[in-house]
Amino acid sequence: MTAVLEGRSVSKWYGQVIAVNNVTFTLEQGVVGLLGPNGAGKSTLMKLITGQLQPSQGEVTMFGERIWNNYELFHRIGFCPEQDSFYERMTGAEFLAVMLQMHGYDDAEVARRTDEALETVKLTEARDKKIAAYSKGMRQRIKMAQAIAHDPEVLILDEPLAGMDPVGRHEVIQMVRQWGRDRKCVIVSSHILHEIEAMTSTILLMHNGQVLAEGDVHQIRDLIDKHPHNISIRCSVPRRLAEAIVGFPDVESVKFHPEGDGLTVESRKPDDFYGRLPGLMLDKEIELEEITSPDDNLQAVFHYLVK
Amino acid sequence: MPIHDLSYSHWTGEWTSHPYRWWVITRQGITMLAKKRGFLVLLFLSLIPFLVRCVMLYVAVVMGRITLVKVDAKFFEAFLSQQLFATFIISIFAGAGLIANDLKANALQIYFSKAITRRDYLIGKLGIVVFFVTLSTLIPGLLLFFLAAAFHSSLEFLQEYSWVMLPIIGYSLIIIFTNALIVLAMSALNRSARFAGIFFAAVVFFGQILYSILAVLLRTTSVSWVSISHNLTQLGDVLFRSDPGYKTSPWISALVLLIWMLGSVWIIHSRVRAVEVVK
Amino acid sequence: MAQSFSLKKGWRDVKTIAFLTLDTLFWSKKTLFVCLLSLIVLGLAVVGRVVLSLNLVPTALPSSQVFGTLMATSVIRFLVIFVTLFYGTALISEEVEGKTLTYLFMRPIAKPTIMLGKYLALTWIGAIMVLPTVFMSYMILYLRADMRPFFEDLGVLGRDIPIVLLALLAYGSFFALLGAWLKHSILIGLIYAFGWEGFVAVLPGFTRKLTITHYIQSIFPHGDTLSALSMLVGQRTETIESIVTLVLLTAFFILTASLVLREKEYVLEQ
Repeated sequence: MTAVLEGRSVSKWYGQVIAVNNVTFTLEQGVVGLLGPNGAGKSTLMKLITGQLQPSQGEVTMFGERIWNNYELFHRIGFCPEQDSFYERMTGAEFLAVMLQMHGYDDAEVARRTDEALETVKLTEARDKKIAAYSKGMRQRIKMAQAIAHDPEVLILDEPLAGMDPVGRHEVIQMVRQWGRDRKCVIVSSHILHEIEAMTSTILLMHNGQVLAEGDVHQIRDLIDKHPHNISIRCSVPRRLAEAIVGFPDVESVKFHPEGDGLTVESRKPDDFYGRLPGLMLDKEIELEEITSPDDNLQAVFHYLVK
Repeated sequence: MPIHDLSYSHWTGEWTSHPYRWWVITRQGITMLAKKRGFLVLLFLSLIPFLVRCVMLYVAVVMGRITLVKVDAKFFEAFLSQQLFATFIISIFAGAGLIANDLKANALQIYFSKAITRRDYLIGKLGIVVFFVTLSTLIPGLLLFFLAAAFHSSLEFLQEYSWVMLPIIGYSLIIIFTNALIVLAMSALNRSARFAGIFFAAVVFFGQILYSILAVLLRTTSVSWVSISHNLTQLGDVLFRSDPGYKTSPWISALVLLIWMLGSVWIIHSRVRAVEVVK
Repeated sequence: MAQSFSLKKGWRDVKTIAFLTLDTLFWSKKTLFVCLLSLIVLGLAVVGRVVLSLNLVPTALPSSQVFGTLMATSVIRFLVIFVTLFYGTALISEEVEGKTLTYLFMRPIAKPTIMLGKYLALTWIGAIMVLPTVFMSYMILYLRADMRPFFEDLGVLGRDIPIVLLALLAYGSFFALLGAWLKHSILIGLIYAFGWEGFVAVLPGFTRKLTITHYIQSIFPHGDTLSALSMLVGQRTETIESIVTLVLLTAFFILTASLVLREKEYVLEQ
């Protein structure tokens, strides 16, 4: 089966600067978070994926076809750019209508899809207001609307939550998750890790123009051997628990919480540790209050791989 | 104290005196423009007439072909008049975006939140255009004069034409400040450097068109005052003691240019404000 | 999926882009400026009319010569150039500066079609801005009690209109190419229009054929209008050859602009 989006040994350079360096990736349906620090090459990769730039080397294909100058593919792609730029004189509805006309729909279909897209992004009431008068959040919504109005199979969203209030963010996150469930391929680029985490656990992590990691956050975390997993346990008698676990070979360190109500264990084999823990608790008569893994998340993965 | 405090501390040194703060803006503008290869190419191209005239000087003075080229006051005046188009282009490139881009980016608030006055800002911006237009008029003009003096084996040239230095300086300054002030006024009127450039071009070329039509209609050259470039060349003729090319009184030409310059200063002054007053 | 293209779809896309561009160009400050320029040209026609009517000059020119002067200088060499320079260079570069180019490039429309649509809009708006000025100038200069010259010279007006249109098309395509290709397109356009074309006009021989203005002036119906033009008039290119050259130049510039748009990578500043 052809992958939705593929990059094979993709490089892009501007003069002496290599923005994207020999990147290979494969993306299927579902939501993928594209993240990395500033200057990682995310924007350049987005531009390569959306056909705004041509690779200096390698190729980027969508549904098996090259993207550059392949305008027919744009029936199937929706792009929400980062920049806050519009044809300001137009109303929201007019803007969407023009974008849909360029997709070749007739007037009736344009009207129907315009209404539907505005409804989805909750801008129906502001449809006849000029975009110049929109708030930042409304401008972001109309950008999303033009990306989804033609019901594309692939959605590329560059910082889709920028400028949105908490309610708006929540709504967009729910929309993105729904698109993923609807078997669209959604690529979301963001600097804000917890927002990506709220949308997906599949990431494409970039740094210095290269892909550092690709796949599920938790799987990636498991593979980062250099940094043992932190497991935080709150219990009735932390010192008794510490005494019991300190002898296990996979336990790297044990550190007590300052409050005295628990401890944090560093373990290279978290699954083995979790397997042992219930029996241990029963044997030692320890009451377990809470168990969490503070670094089995995107923030930790990002930090460990990038820093 | 063994462990030094490296946290933030206020400046206790000397503050630079106020009269030079405009230079910060000028210097920064010059540095930024000097980094643009296209602009440097343009500057170089604008100096080609200067190089050609150096060769002409050599041919006339050193090789003795005075019948081919006469090195007199008109020689220097012709060079400066020839540079009018180049100064127009350089003014647009260097000046059209100077204030327009700041207006577009709302940078005036940032400028005026620092210890500079509006005057510092305007003089600073003016200095950028003046600098580059000077490079294509006054400096090559004076260099040509010194070269002509140097090529002559005797002091004869200097004895006869030493007075030409003042018209070179005067004509150059009129060209420099006319271009600089008008282009800055256009820049101050727009938030787009593109618009500002086009406005400036329209002002310059429309005057020329207007003159050519009126001259045909009224069968006289005394209407040359409608064109900025014709006023400049008229003043050039007068300064270099040549027969004026048009029947317009040089005082009228001077007055028109003065009105343009003062009008530009007024426009710039009224448009450049730290705070926008919304009524 | 092979790239399919049908003329019907292509024409529909061209129209959509043209209307979008027309809307953004027309309702902008540029249009106010161009209207001002047109009014100034009409003002010149009024001045001409006043001079003629009040006999301010002993040996006055006939209306035809005043109209010809107006056309040759203020319309062809000023208004047409400024309108096409202003709008033509803005076709693509304003989309780049305004960062709206992404919206066009992310639609299933071939980039050459985008260029054609924008060029069509440029032609429309150029015609809207310039042709009424030509008509009204004619009216201003010719309307009087004795209407015979008005009707006698209608043929000249009839020739002037298509020539002005051809000038709009030729200059428009050239400046559209500059706008798509170069960063400082207005500056280059000004250097070309008022530097190169002005300089080459006084050169003898073949070099004047390297300008658009030479071919336009060659098909201009007005006779020895200005002494500055008489050299050009004296070395005209044949009318048919001039028209064909202008059409070919227009096609060449627009095709090249389409190719540039297709192949160039436009980096929108973040």
